[in-house]
Amino acid sequence: MKLFDKRPWLAWLMFFATIIVVFLLGLLASSIVERRAEATFVNVPRTDISEFEPRNEVWGENYPREFQSYYQTADTSFASKYNGGAVIDMLELDPRLVVLWAGYGFSKDYKQGRGHYYAVTDVRNTLRTGSPADDKSGPMPSTCWTCKGPDVPRLMNEHGVAEFYKGKWARLGSEVVNPIGCADCHDPKTMNLRITRPALIEAFERQGKDITQSSHQEMRSLVCAQCHVEYYFNKKTEEGANYLTLPWDKGMNVEAMEAYYDEMEFSDWTHQLSKAPMLKAQHPGYEVYSTGIHADRGVSCADCHMPYKSEGGQKFTDHKIQSPLNNVANSCQVCHRQETANLIANVYDRQDKIIENRDKLEELVVRAHVEAKKAWDIGASQAQMEDILMGIRHAQWRWDYAAASHGASFHSPVEIGRVIGTGIDIAQETRIKLARLLAELGHNQEVPYPDIETKAKAQQFVGLDMERLNQEKKVFKEDVVPEWIKEAQAREDS
Amino acid sequence: MIKHLVPPPQWRFPVMIVLAIFIGLALFIFKVSNASSYLSDNPETCVNCHIMAPQYATWNHSSHREWTNCNDCHVPHNNVVNKYYFKAKDGLRHATVFTMRAEPEVIFIKKEGAEVVHKNCIRCHHQQITDPKLVATVDGHSSHTQDRKCWECHREVPHGRVNSLSSTPNAHVPLPTSPVPDWLKRYTDKNKP
Repeated sequence: MKLFDKRPWLAWLMFFATIIVVFLLGLLASSIVERRAEATFVNVPRTDISEFEPRNEVWGENYPREFQSYYQTADTSFASKYNGGAVIDMLELDPRLVVLWAGYGFSKDYKQGRGHYYAVTDVRNTLRTGSPADDKSGPMPSTCWTCKGPDVPRLMNEHGVAEFYKGKWARLGSEVVNPIGCADCHDPKTMNLRITRPALIEAFERQGKDITQSSHQEMRSLVCAQCHVEYYFNKKTEEGANYLTLPWDKGMNVEAMEAYYDEMEFSDWTHQLSKAPMLKAQHPGYEVYSTGIHADRGVSCADCHMPYKSEGGQKFTDHKIQSPLNNVANSCQVCHRQETANLIANVYDRQDKIIENRDKLEELVVRAHVEAKKAWDIGASQAQMEDILMGIRHAQWRWDYAAASHGASFHSPVEIGRVIGTGIDIAQETRIKLARLLAELGHNQEVPYPDIETKAKAQQFVGLDMERLNQEKKVFKEDVVPEWIKEAQAREDS
Repeated sequence: MIKHLVPPPQWRFPVMIVLAIFIGLALFIFKVSNASSYLSDNPETCVNCHIMAPQYATWNHSSHREWTNCNDCHVPHNNVVNKYYFKAKDGLRHATVFTMRAEPEVIFIKKEGAEVVHKNCIRCHHQQITDPKLVATVDGHSSHTQDRKCWECHREVPHGRVNSLSSTPNAHVPLPTSPVPDWLKRYTDKNKP
């Protein structure tokens, strides 16, 4: 090495220069590590939230903006043309529903749901849950609590999932007291979205999909899909349990779920007038949404129902989950540059058109029930009725699928139009069969449409003793509910 | 030439050690800074640095989310060389500011970057601003594309108007996860006192 032989200082220079570069590189590396560590402190919660903390107020200490906007779901002042956060007595509005659900709880009481804040109060108040006097009485199973609040994941964790689904509704009255909130959707450590209801995870598994592989954007819909879906209570999964199950094994559209139910010969109840084995659509909001254009374009539930909001200099997701029609500026207009009035008119236009045919289908199914009753009355046999009863079941299932999936006429107008269309076809085919059968049995004239002008008349028509039901509910609210609240208070204080 | 750089025999050992440390450190920096990701268009690259979280979060809540990533707007697209040249230049400036802790609370786009974004607006929305139907009805629509920036009118697009490092405190942003591998974490967790 002649270079260094002549200039030995050069070797030294290179040696020390390298050392200095390595040292500086080390400084850079440590600064990168330090600044990366900083990122984990972007969100430092003030208090520790335990794994299944059900009290929304405790989460609210760390996330005041999100909590306070969640709290605004208590607001019931907004009613759109068909939905919104206000209480609407649907039976009053449309007494035909009483006849369609004759013999089932929904004919007693059905109101348009209020915000998440009222989840627990409203389920206590509705006549559908009856007026149980003790843990073992009442018409409803404990499964009815599944979607009512963050106490549910806590209980499922403590006692096991199947155990939760066992017994009567009143059994958990003092346990489920916090309304739908933080712990239902969020992981307390990382605040990531999480699925807390086993039914959705199980439905994914049976379809061979792993829900944990979902992207953040998909999760912004899936946390809603934990509850806003079609479901039924399977009594065969585990002895003594009403196991909450999603009927998605054959697919998620109206025909696939119907085929699923038909194959297992499932029915929610037997209709009081027509004796048809009926299906009650719950609220297949997620299924309908996924057939719509917004889902196709990658828009999640949260994008419209929980849009970004700024308050002062801070931006956050608005946890006042509500109708986007009450917040067009932040929901619709992020993408659609039209005037608010225009956008709302577009929605109403679709809703009006859908409801026009839905009303028609509704009337046809009421007629079919009444005509089927007439057929029974004048001596129709089980064999003669079989086909007709299936027709009534399928027609009403389609009507209910369109009616119960709130917002369906917005979420997927074409699909819902199709569903109602096939429903009208089935209903009319069934009524042709009924007309033939009635003629065969010697009744060859129109069966009169019942006088169901008002809710009271309709309830009288199906033979409900409303006075007694209301009286019992009053006693229940005065005697039983305060006991539940006291018991829950004692548990949470300890 | 290479021969000239090879140290004399008595120097070889210390030089080897120092060079190895040098290379090792360089590899370490490459890994912790996710250096390879800077070649991609993935928006997660931009939140390698947490001060970009508000920009990521606001974009992710905007109508542009489905169609664009950061690079679609913020680097030139006239040719590949220019794209990476601009990216490298901008990126090195950002890295320097970030390392020196010189970032301002409110980040504003520089003139050169604004020019690039403006051109990219036009690149995608070409049809809207040159549509002859609109030229006839919206007075001066095409001349306005020359004398002002798009966002002088379209001010909410796409990041919204509120813009500061602390504007989105609890937003969910895919910040880089810990570089410590799982096996090491498990090992250290197991040996915790």
